[in-house]
Amino acid sequence: MSEGTAAARPPALARRDGAMAPWAAPDARRWLQLGLAAIWLLDGVLQYQSVMFSKAFGQMLAATAPGNPAWIAEPITWAAGIVEHHLVSTNTAFATIQLLLGLGIAWRPTLRPALAASIVWSAAVWWFGEGLGGVLAGTASPVNGAPGGVIIYALLAVLLWPSGANRPLPAFVAARQVGVRAARALWLVLWGSLAYFAVTAANRTGQGLHDMVAAMASGEPGWLASINRGGADVLAHRGLTASIVLAAVLAAIAVGVFLPEPAVRATVLLAVVVSLIIWVVGQDLGGILAGGATDPNSGLLLALLALAYWPGGAAVMPHPADHSPASAGIAP
Amino acid sequence: MTGPSWLPDTFAAIMLVVAAVSAARLAAAVPGPRQAITDTSADCAHLLMAIAMSGMLVASLRTLPDEAWEVVFGVLTAWFAVRVGREARGRGARAWAGGCHAPHLVHSVAMLYMFLALKVPVATSGGSGMGGMSGSSSAMLHLPTLALVLALLLAGYAVRDLDRLTDPAGVRLYHPAQTGSRRTRFGAAALATAGASGAATGPAVGRSAAAAPGPAGGSPAGRPVPGRGLASARRLVIAPRLAICCRIAMGITMAYMLVIMI
Repeated sequence: MSEGTAAARPPALARRDGAMAPWAAPDARRWLQLGLAAIWLLDGVLQYQSVMFSKAFGQMLAATAPGNPAWIAEPITWAAGIVEHHLVSTNTAFATIQLLLGLGIAWRPTLRPALAASIVWSAAVWWFGEGLGGVLAGTASPVNGAPGGVIIYALLAVLLWPSGANRPLPAFVAARQVGVRAARALWLVLWGSLAYFAVTAANRTGQGLHDMVAAMASGEPGWLASINRGGADVLAHRGLTASIVLAAVLAAIAVGVFLPEPAVRATVLLAVVVSLIIWVVGQDLGGILAGGATDPNSGLLLALLALAYWPGGAAVMPHPADHSPASAGIAP
Repeated sequence: MTGPSWLPDTFAAIMLVVAAVSAARLAAAVPGPRQAITDTSADCAHLLMAIAMSGMLVASLRTLPDEAWEVVFGVLTAWFAVRVGREARGRGARAWAGGCHAPHLVHSVAMLYMFLALKVPVATSGGSGMGGMSGSSSAMLHLPTLALVLALLLAGYAVRDLDRLTDPAGVRLYHPAQTGSRRTRFGAAALATAGASGAATGPAVGRSAAAAPGPAGGSPAGRPVPGRGLASARRLVIAPRLAICCRIAMGITMAYMLVIMI
């Protein structure tokens, strides 16, 4: 392309039909997509840790099988065996895939394929890497990452899918692709399930939450271990009460998005705060600082997801191109 | 417990490429009548960081002692802190999210942190320095939380930079010269090469004030720009996109290093 030709064209991206689409400054949805991309990038980097190239990684995968039904557990054991026998090649592939997912989401021309691939990858990892988050094993708890951090990646990819062009902007970002009803239903299912998991038998015992939080302190920096110990002290012998309170809060969040806008704002704010508290106190930032973590766990993703439900978020930083098929730089 | 040795080798090789590109950009930006519109301080920072990181990843590529690098990155941190401070005076908090200097500041802080925070016992490293940082479980990392925060910031800036690669106006925001007075005739050619000249007919939101041709110079859209006769290779070297690619590669490599240090 000659400079003169370049000068005659608007800033543009090639579209499938050969036409040129105008570039649009990031709107709220794009910022959330970039947040998701950054987390995928971090996941990829975490997967390159030395410990992931050791047998510990295969054992970590295999440990998610027990407690699950046989048809879930056997494929996990089989996959873990393959990983253990081909540690370097499989882990390099895993890390590189996750790195590429992050880069693909961040680079507009590959946004759609990257999001689609992230859904497939997340589903596979949810099964083979997280044992469906312990949902069927009875060990799931919102505090330890239920229903599995990686499935929230898939949910985010669906909700942040770059389309919805030529539609009026809905009340919040998450509804732009799937619609308001479906987005609220997904929210209800997610947070409702978290409320349910909070009061399952394993989590409502007197010391259940205490033990879970106390166990996180090992290997963490002093300030985080102190938080764990403090949290565990508060929860000691109050497991049932704490579980009921947590379930009530999560249930309130689940139904809060159906309320009038001011209440929805309060609900989303509460969801972000609760997510971050869980992320810090219950998940120790995903255990990254203790070494050996493969992702930042569910707390950070729940907070990101909640932001997609902020009322008026879809209209934040609007731009003309957003109403065109070229929204987010992608052809329809 | 160590990972495969080819992994740090690969990242080190990428850093050597970044160093070579940065050196080429600096060479192309020598003062003269056709001075390129490159950010010399950023390219210089990229060069130094890439050399330092390659030495941290592969011991045989070490150049300067750690103490020298600490001074270098201390100075760079101060330099970019001042520039971000100046930028923030005009743009406020947006200087951190959309400014061109904030990523350089974070990179400089990350480099300084890596040199200061990781102390490898001499007995296990076979000498001083961080050449053995890869998988070194005996290393004592100070303030590991800061490593995670920096890794998150680096990942964030990397994806933001990548998002801007498809935006001619965004690419131009990389250049401090767009908000300053160092725009030159050759610079206009470089921007045209990057597809920047389309801003004149693009959507309003894609045209920032910084992107519009200003009084400092530049070429209005559609007008042939000087510097056309320069070798295309040279134009490629000074293209803002290349610098952004270097920054993305460095950000990811730094995040990798910070994570394995934890």
